[in-house]
Amino acid sequence: MILAGTSQGSSEYYYEEEDSQFLEALNNAVLPGDQPLISAQQQTIQKDNASIKDDDDEDLELPPPAQQSLKRRHSSVVPDSEDEQDVQEMPKDDTYDAYKFGGFGDYMRRKRAKLQIQNAEMVEGGQSVAEDRLFQGLAIYINGFTRPSVQELRHLIVKHGGVFHPYLDRKALVTHIITCSLTPAKIREFKHMKVVRPEWLMESIKQGVLLPWKDFQYVHDQRIETSQGIKAKQPSLTDLTQEPEAPSSAQPRTSFLQPKKPIPDPLYVTDPATKADAARVPGYAADKSNPNAQRVMANPEWRKANTSASSNFIEGYYKNSRLHHLATWKAELLELVQEAQDRAEAGGGVGHAGKIKSEAQTAKEHDVSMRGAMLRSPSKWKGKGKAAPDEDRVIMHCDFDCFFVSAGLISRPHLKGKPVVVCHSQGNQGGASSTSEIASSSYEARSFGIKNGMSLQQARQLCPEVVTIPYEFERYKEFSLKFYTVLMAHAEDLQAVSVDEALIDVTTAVNELKERSDFGDPAKDYAEQIRAEIRNVTSCEISIGISHNILLARLATRRAKPGGSYHLFQDDVQEFLAPLQITDLHGFGWSMKQKAIEKLGTAQLGDLFSRSKGVLIDALGKATGENLYKALRGIDDRKLESHKPRKSVSCEISYGIRFENNEQAKNFIFQMATEVKKRLDAINMVGKSITLKIMKRDPTAPVEAPKFLGHGACDLFNKQMPLQGPTGRATSDENLIGEHAWRMLKSFNFDPKELRGIGIQVQKLESSSSAASSTSSGQAVLPFKPNAQGPPPGKATTSKATLPERPPAQPPITTTRQPTKAEPTLDLPSFSQVDRSVFDALPPEIRAELESEYKRRSESPAPPVQPGHMPKNPISRQASERRSVPPQIFPDKPKAKPNYGRIAQQLAPRSRPSVSPTKAAIYAWAKPKPKKPTVRITDAALRALDLDPEVFNALPVKVQREQLVRARLIRDRGRLPTPPSERKVIKPAKIVFPPGFVVYRAPKPRAKHIQPPSLKQYGKNKEKLVFTETGDIQNILETWLMTFRHWKPRAKDVEYLSKYLVQSVDGKEYTDVSVERAIQVMRWWLLLMRRLWPAYEVLDEDDLDSSQRDPVGEAWWDTFYDVKEKMDEVVRKRFGSGISLK
Amino acid sequence: MSSEDTLSYNGTHTIQTLSDFSNHTIAELVHAIAEFIEVAIHTILYVRQVYPADIFVRRKKYNTAVYQSRHPALNEYITGAVKAGKVEKVVVVIKDKEQTAMERFIFSLDTIINVEGFNKDTSVEDGITFSSLAQYFRSFILKLNLIEAQIGQMYLGDDVSFTIVIELKDGEVPQKSISDKDPPPWIPAVSQHTTPGVKKEAELHMIRAVNTGVINISLAVEESAEKVIKEKAERLAQRKAETQARKDKAAADKKAEESNKTSNEKGKERAPDVEVEPKPAEGNNASS
Repeated sequence: MILAGTSQGSSEYYYEEEDSQFLEALNNAVLPGDQPLISAQQQTIQKDNASIKDDDDEDLELPPPAQQSLKRRHSSVVPDSEDEQDVQEMPKDDTYDAYKFGGFGDYMRRKRAKLQIQNAEMVEGGQSVAEDRLFQGLAIYINGFTRPSVQELRHLIVKHGGVFHPYLDRKALVTHIITCSLTPAKIREFKHMKVVRPEWLMESIKQGVLLPWKDFQYVHDQRIETSQGIKAKQPSLTDLTQEPEAPSSAQPRTSFLQPKKPIPDPLYVTDPATKADAARVPGYAADKSNPNAQRVMANPEWRKANTSASSNFIEGYYKNSRLHHLATWKAELLELVQEAQDRAEAGGGVGHAGKIKSEAQTAKEHDVSMRGAMLRSPSKWKGKGKAAPDEDRVIMHCDFDCFFVSAGLISRPHLKGKPVVVCHSQGNQGGASSTSEIASSSYEARSFGIKNGMSLQQARQLCPEVVTIPYEFERYKEFSLKFYTVLMAHAEDLQAVSVDEALIDVTTAVNELKERSDFGDPAKDYAEQIRAEIRNVTSCEISIGISHNILLARLATRRAKPGGSYHLFQDDVQEFLAPLQITDLHGFGWSMKQKAIEKLGTAQLGDLFSRSKGVLIDALGKATGENLYKALRGIDDRKLESHKPRKSVSCEISYGIRFENNEQAKNFIFQMATEVKKRLDAINMVGKSITLKIMKRDPTAPVEAPKFLGHGACDLFNKQMPLQGPTGRATSDENLIGEHAWRMLKSFNFDPKELRGIGIQVQKLESSSSAASSTSSGQAVLPFKPNAQGPPPGKATTSKATLPERPPAQPPITTTRQPTKAEPTLDLPSFSQVDRSVFDALPPEIRAELESEYKRRSESPAPPVQPGHMPKNPISRQASERRSVPPQIFPDKPKAKPNYGRIAQQLAPRSRPSVSPTKAAIYAWAKPKPKKPTVRITDAALRALDLDPEVFNALPVKVQREQLVRARLIRDRGRLPTPPSERKVIKPAKIVFPPGFVVYRAPKPRAKHIQPPSLKQYGKNKEKLVFTETGDIQNILETWLMTFRHWKPRAKDVEYLSKYLVQSVDGKEYTDVSVERAIQVMRWWLLLMRRLWPAYEVLDEDDLDSSQRDPVGEAWWDTFYDVKEKMDEVVRKRFGSGISLK
Repeated sequence: MSSEDTLSYNGTHTIQTLSDFSNHTIAELVHAIAEFIEVAIHTILYVRQVYPADIFVRRKKYNTAVYQSRHPALNEYITGAVKAGKVEKVVVVIKDKEQTAMERFIFSLDTIINVEGFNKDTSVEDGITFSSLAQYFRSFILKLNLIEAQIGQMYLGDDVSFTIVIELKDGEVPQKSISDKDPPPWIPAVSQHTTPGVKKEAELHMIRAVNTGVINISLAVEESAEKVIKEKAERLAQRKAETQARKDKAAADKKAEESNKTSNEKGKERAPDVEVEPKPAEGNNASS
């Protein structure tokens, strides 16, 4: 069958219409045996138990909603059986016809059809028809180079009833893609497709069932290692089927990854045969990969029992981890030292070294821990306060000689003088290939070239007769304690470096010795004394290096060993350092050496001495360069660190980490979290920050590290996040730590199989007692319902109705409702806060609902809610019933619940925000308020000032300050300064003006209205009349004209009028308004003239003889023209032209 | 004439009843006058048919209909001219194709009081109010619209164009352009377009004047001597033709010949004033 799926290839539109036909053809070509469709479908579903997605893909009825191209679904529906005969014919009909022009789509279609026919023939023609129908329903495309080859795979696919597609131009046709490697672009392209490694087919064939493809899913990150290539050599199916062990489905992958013939060749090329060779071997490795590990890892039983997958792995791990013991002791030692110091500082130091012995012994008997032992601080203990000048200080570096070995030899005196090593592996167990790491080796063994950290296997190569002795942690602890006890008796200051190593400051003691005797080296004498004491106590040798600072003391110890002491003086420093390597200095490691050789050309301290500080800094970085420069000159400013507080607590495991899946990893993380909690509790600390350290197998490294179950070459990853307890405080809760760590690990998104080491570290430590006290004052925890793991469906659920107002005492409420429906938890406001008016306005049923709800709440403890009390949404109920198979993938829609939120919102008082406060707001509210600023003064000081502290503290800050000032004034001056009797108010001086003075203010600009020219007359009663308006003037003019129309105008009158008019027309003087007026007057005059003497306006001298002339009219006209000419004269000055009277 | 009286009477009346008594500041007044001049120029160009009527839109201003050019280049030109600066007269010269001024529309500005800079924004006491000024401007526009009754139509067809001449007060220089790169927008005017170049025969029609008490403004139109003489000649010819027509209808043919006569111009060069180069009207199709 062909699946509906994505069809987004670029070439898809070549095949638009003939799709269904082609599919039919395809179907028939593949399934000549006429398998009924549905059975095939069922079969696939049965076999393919992998995923929902898978099912959906196959299920034509219910495509997953994410499928993109439903538009092509119609084409993928498999046709009915009635078509099949046609189809059988069809390809034969036209498949081998000649091509028509332009039929590229046709070409491809036919090509595919031909190939399918070829496939069908392959099945029929080859072996007996259809070996099985194993791959029935699969349409497989093979991408790129594969092992076995494409041809082989194709053959296999077809033989087992699958469909092999040579082209991927239509993704809808293909169910699976087989590949060994993909380019990133293709990874993206095939993101939504099932990409599987070829092993899937091979394995399925081998087992005779179609295995879940998911187990063979192609993961890009994984490298195909060369070791896997072996697989490809198996040439045929028969070989495959003859494989001895059928891997269980639990671990199909590893079985493929591991080579099948792991018998190692004992003679490794890299193995050192001689001492010189051994020196060349950089470290531990005898082999690139550990064959034994690979072998045993293939066994799930063993694996389950011995790797991190095992449930009690951590326990066992810590039982046997040497480093763990050492680290734990060191931490304890440091504490002991600190305790002793504290006691000494408190002044209670009496005591004597003699007592310690017995105490140490008793401690040994019942506890491996040294915690029970109390160190007596020496009487001359002075604490850290005093500091002698650096040159005069005497620092001793005390170090056991091959501590483990010499401790072990106490009970095995017969082994003295033989090459002895301490390691886990005993006797001949593990044989030549033992990878057990050598923790300590005797000097005799060292002379063979055996070094600490080598594998036993290597050591055996160098010295076959090497004797191994087991760890004896309890003895070590005892010795260590004794060692420190002696040192404490002598030291003024002590820094515990490790269980068998310590730095002590003995300046005073040596100086006292020096005073007593002048000759010899008192420091060396003193050191011998210490050595003797320790030899007495432990019968082991220690070496002591003496100098005036830590660095040199450490170096001196090198010379002192074995079993001696050496005093390195400042004068000899240079000479002493010259032959050494940079790595010999404490704090300078291998990488520094590489850097020095690379950049400076040498790692010899003598050569480096001549280099300037700048050169060193350039080459090695600022801090390192400076340190080296100083170290070369024997300068070391470091102080003994006896008081270093514990900064972090961690649990790191990098051994035996082999996970199969995330589940195991998660469990392991939580186990580690428990361990971390144990350790935190042991020192009464809680932490605020958590760091997850991950070691992931380096992609180039072999799956199994050289060291048995070791981590091998790894990439390191770190992630840190704040660790927050329920109240945001420091915590040591194991679940929280586990939760945080797991979240971080998940965020890396690593393949769990690749993990090789996990570390959980908790920092920002606080004393748990202080944290606890602050916790109590913190906010109560709201018992929010966990939503991650809901109750399994199918049972009556219990869910908590959580009410923020009353967090406690809400017992689980049992409901009989649908399991998928969690009871809505909504915060109704408390009844007293309900807006009554809104409440009353609600519809009666809702009101009843609410009332019952409130009633229910007011009863305490709340009884189980009756189903009837809760409103049911009939629609949602119906909907849920109608859907017989509820789709699990869809989360429940909140709308199915009654809308309490809306009602609650309406009921909430108006004045407050109706939405629930955000988380941030709650935190802000819960956060302790910033302390109010207070006046900082001790109670004693207050009493001295005659103030009652109790009263004082109750006052507001402002008043406090006031009172303080007042009290101090009284104390200092004996009285309060008398306040000025009157308050002085400073005012600006008032300016007083002399009487009569008026302040000048610039007046507002004032419009100036020019008086128009006027005609002045005397009225009947001799009063003065002034005319300015146009109408008035016109009236006067008219009167004048009418009065004198039978006479010539009098010159006096003319003068009178013309003066006015000429004045008026002078716009400069009297404004254009008067010009306008004058013109109007003139027009009126002209009008009147034309009425009276029209004939004489244009006087043509020639036309008229004198008899016809009217001298009066002419005179008037002349007058008019005269006046106008005068006016024009004036106007022309301004406008250039005379006035027009038109 | 009677109609004018009615108008002015009505105008006065309205002013007294409607005036609100808030006074202008000098700045506001200057702005109002500049705005008015701009509006008036548009109206002149419309009324005198310098440009085809199509390019004008009817708008409402001063409670009356005014015509505004829609041509952006023309508007820019007018606006630029109005903003020119301290002017005594703004003259819109309507000229024929020989660049001879036919009509000069003279906006005469008379600054009565000098206001210091700090008082530019204090209101002028006893000045004209806003609304009454608007009423005056309205009467300006109305009378301008009726100017054809006084100075008649000019049958110049496509040949008409216009120039804006500003005549500055003594001792003033025209405002410079904003940036130094541009050439100054003003050039000396042809003297015939200027007031000193006006000949005796020219006739002045005072259209309207208003005394604001701060800046008095008047608008007059002056028919140039050339036009007056030409029209007089035309009238005479017409009269002769009429008398002849009374006697003999056939004599009417002569009329056409004589109407083409134009008077020669004689211009006397004087001290140059300033003018703006006229912009030839584009696609000028003005016709009756």
